[in-house]
Amino acid sequence: MLSNWKLHLTRILLALWGLQLIWLAWHFAPEARDLARRIGLGEVGAAVRQEDPLYLWSASLSAVIPPDAAYVFVDNYESGKEIEVRYYLAPRRHILVSPESPAAFLFHTLHEEQAAYLIVRDQQKPPGPGVQAAVRSQAVQPLKIQGPGRVYRVDHLRFHWGFYD
Amino acid sequence: MIEAALSLLRLLGGLAALCFLGSGLLAALLPQPREFRVLERLVLSFGIGAVLLTLWMLALTWRGLPFGLGLILGPSLGLAAALLLTPRGRRALSGDLRALAWPRRPGLQGWDWLFAGLLATLFLYAFLRATLYPMWAWDAIATWGCKAKVFYISHGLDLTCIDAHNYYPNLVPLLLSYLYYCLGQVNDHLAQGLFPLWGALLLGLLYSLARRLGLSRRLALGLTAFLALNGTVFVVHLYIAYADLPLAYFTLGATGLVYLWLAGQAPRGSLSLAALFLAGMAWCKYEGPPLAATVILAAVLTLAWLRPPGTWRRLFSLSLPLAGLALGYLPWRLFISQQYLQVGADHIRNFYPQQLAQASVYLATVLIQPYFFGFLWPAALLAAIALGRRLWTSPALFLLLFLGGNLLAILLAYAVAPTSAAEFPSYLKASMDRLLLHLTPSAALLVGLGLKELWPSTQRAAVNQVKPSRMLHPSP
Repeated sequence: MLSNWKLHLTRILLALWGLQLIWLAWHFAPEARDLARRIGLGEVGAAVRQEDPLYLWSASLSAVIPPDAAYVFVDNYESGKEIEVRYYLAPRRHILVSPESPAAFLFHTLHEEQAAYLIVRDQQKPPGPGVQAAVRSQAVQPLKIQGPGRVYRVDHLRFHWGFYD
Repeated sequence: MIEAALSLLRLLGGLAALCFLGSGLLAALLPQPREFRVLERLVLSFGIGAVLLTLWMLALTWRGLPFGLGLILGPSLGLAAALLLTPRGRRALSGDLRALAWPRRPGLQGWDWLFAGLLATLFLYAFLRATLYPMWAWDAIATWGCKAKVFYISHGLDLTCIDAHNYYPNLVPLLLSYLYYCLGQVNDHLAQGLFPLWGALLLGLLYSLARRLGLSRRLALGLTAFLALNGTVFVVHLYIAYADLPLAYFTLGATGLVYLWLAGQAPRGSLSLAALFLAGMAWCKYEGPPLAATVILAAVLTLAWLRPPGTWRRLFSLSLPLAGLALGYLPWRLFISQQYLQVGADHIRNFYPQQLAQASVYLATVLIQPYFFGFLWPAALLAAIALGRRLWTSPALFLLLFLGGNLLAILLAYAVAPTSAAEFPSYLKASMDRLLLHLTPSAALLVGLGLKELWPSTQRAAVNQVKPSRMLHPSP
């Protein structure tokens, strides 16, 4: 038979687990409520993505960018949006560039990667030095695509080797 | 509605094909497949099928053959059918069909119903949560899901258009892309059903191993529920498409089978199965090969310490799991070097004591704080205390060495990580719980041993169909 202390310890552990189960149910309750609401409304699966403006924008982009094309995406990795857009636009080749990148780096990337599109994720923020220089260079032409960011068609052949800063 | 039902059927068909492939190999590997219960064969065959099918997909890419459902499944199912048509395979198959036709009534009572009900509620939630929401978690869309989509669209293991840790092993992405071929499209929310299924298989494996340890059905069910419903980490991994849950499954299979083999309680052929699970570990995640190596190392140290009769022969037998590790590791490494893929290298330059201190505090927090793994790790510690002297005089030592060694290895890895001081806390938060998830099911095995120690009478009550070949240290 179990000795007393082992029995007490086991009981305490089981009681704690029981309390933890109640906490676990409370913790996941908001997600479970959302799940139940979505099932009730039939808004499940692919419909969930339709609520995301970034997805809708990416869907518009995928209609424009050919699957074998490359694009430079200007955003901060930490925002987590870049990986979403890359996922939605796969298998299009995706090159991430920071918004603070200088012109030399951005031009070099556009040329080297033979990028056909330049996408700036957040149009609320003022464009960085690289994007400003690219727009001035006339080698990129803005496209009218509704969404949270700016899209440019790029003629990468017009970016030549050299210093741009 | 009809389309959704058809998609679900296609998905189930694809998953069943994996089990069929695994069953064929089980029939070939095991001298007596019937020594494993139907549940055991089911949970083992899925993992083995997943390893073989994805390695076959790697071979197809190597030969320059484009992926297609016929080419992926045709030869694999043909091989499985041929293996199942052997006399041994036929016997196993007919037994399984009989068991399916006349399933035994579960005969649950009292607490059994509570545990089973808790598990059923969890999986109802997890299956709905996984399959009714699109793929969304960070690593799922940044790495595993992104690769799967690219592999599906490009009909091969094409890594030219993405930069998503291209050197990571590809069991999970290839498996997801295989499911996309079954579904006929990239349907990431339905394919996410793979993960709660994998969680259920992991729990099925834990239950089976717990029964083989000598626990009664009630205790084994309780232990299974205790693992599944302790903290948030395991639950969340049931519905995000990460490779950590599959790695935890392969790790549990490998440690459980090797433990049973060390304890002389393993059915014949267990070491071959453990080898395939080690292959799965190596082919599943970047952390897999070193983790798999520690399983073998812990077994070697256990044998060296306990010195059972035939130590040298037993040590030599461990070359089989080692071959399994090579099977899971080498093909991908050869592919990487052949394709000149850039391998990420952590430039270890120094040992950082402050990182070791921070990692130690955070490790203790994750182990103790109920938010992560509930009370499972404290229970494992109590189980170790309950085992007392037997911890180093019996094969339980293997589990202690594996778990303790890996906890130390995790701390050491953080202490030499070339991370900036500012980023280190977020690096810890993003990775520690996942590293521990790989070990947690094996820690549950230790809890199982503790339960057996606390309720020794259950040893007699437990059904154990195996004739122990040779115990390292018979129970007193």
